[in-house]
Amino acid sequence: MSRWTKFLIAVILGAAAGLFYGWVVNPVEYVDIALESLRVDYKTDYVLMVAESYQVDHDLGLAVRRLALLGSSAPTDVVANALSYALQHEYASQDLSLLQALGEGLLTWNPNQEIPTP
Amino acid sequence: MKQDRRGSWYLLTGAVLGVALGLFYSWVISPVKYVDAPPYALRADYKDDYRALVAAAYLYSGDLLRAQDRLAQLKDDETAQTLAMQAQRALAEGRPEEEVRALGILAMALGGGVMPNISSITPTQAATLIPLTSAVTPTPLLIEPTASPTTTMQTSPTPPGILHIPESTTHYQPPRTETPTATQGAPFMLQETKLVCNINQPDPLIQVEIKDAAGQPVPSVEVVVTWDGGEDHFFTGLQPELGLGYADFVMTPEVVYSIHLANGDQTAGPLTAAKCVADDNSQYWGSLFLTFVQP
Repeated sequence: MSRWTKFLIAVILGAAAGLFYGWVVNPVEYVDIALESLRVDYKTDYVLMVAESYQVDHDLGLAVRRLALLGSSAPTDVVANALSYALQHEYASQDLSLLQALGEGLLTWNPNQEIPTP
Repeated sequence: MKQDRRGSWYLLTGAVLGVALGLFYSWVISPVKYVDAPPYALRADYKDDYRALVAAAYLYSGDLLRAQDRLAQLKDDETAQTLAMQAQRALAEGRPEEEVRALGILAMALGGGVMPNISSITPTQAATLIPLTSAVTPTPLLIEPTASPTTTMQTSPTPPGILHIPESTTHYQPPRTETPTATQGAPFMLQETKLVCNINQPDPLIQVEIKDAAGQPVPSVEVVVTWDGGEDHFFTGLQPELGLGYADFVMTPEVVYSIHLANGDQTAGPLTAAKCVADDNSQYWGSLFLTFVQP
């Protein structure tokens, strides 16, 4: 085995060790994660909470801002995914109705009507 | 001989270079992205958002069991205390009044085990507190789901750099209390006014303590103090070390005050600073301690 081959093997082994250390042993930001990293069931519950609060404040802009914390997907897609998950897992009909009501409200939402908050 | 000495060092050099490349790739180019995280791993400000949302949702449902279960996912040590503290922070930071009120109401409900004080919700909000009555299964086809999250997550292999945070594999679904009956909160009534003599307290104070029907302190209650030509507002809970239901106001001697709660009709007064007598017969200003309770 030539010197260069051994050298490359050493580099590869070192890189593997570095990746293992960086991804597993000491990865970037284990804590302080964002809402978009929540597990799908928690995301669904988050959307359900947005739907519940929407019934109180009827503020679509606020609902959209809250949903935006779950990632860059369109708010209607976020609600649709939550509704899909809720249906699969047989959420209570009242909860499904809430998600549906929020989704329907978002279909009529016009961001141009949104008054920017200071 | 010269070639033998070089042999051991080039391998070490390669390994170090490889480690550096690996760390650069794993920390900079493709850092770990966490998925499937539970709420307790959220960043502190996102936890605040989460709590505020739980409180806002509670205003709709009045379902304390559901709110408790949701908050339990954050694994806070003292849930009610944490909520009350967040309410105070929100108040100090000028967050929307609805958010502060929702946090305060949920903190109160968790602390005292009572239902929300719906009287403190605006009439418009109170009118919407009735849950949707439609029990018909909705038609989700109005919104086309772009993907089935469950299917995607179960079938797609995990790419490098994606780390699933170890957690219970059980599916989380918030419990629902089937018949939430939000009871009307009774207004707070003045129970007692007494003079407190504390020689270590140089300024005369109006001290207010507010308790709910269960005898638990109530934070975030707005107290209005008025005098001839002036008015001021202060809130309970801003000095948590003295109690979540405590608030005080510094009086000017000789000025006559009256106070009432922002959400109450009863006025306490006239109140004026009174003097106490020390052991050496010297005089100093005492404070007035008023206790409001929810009957």
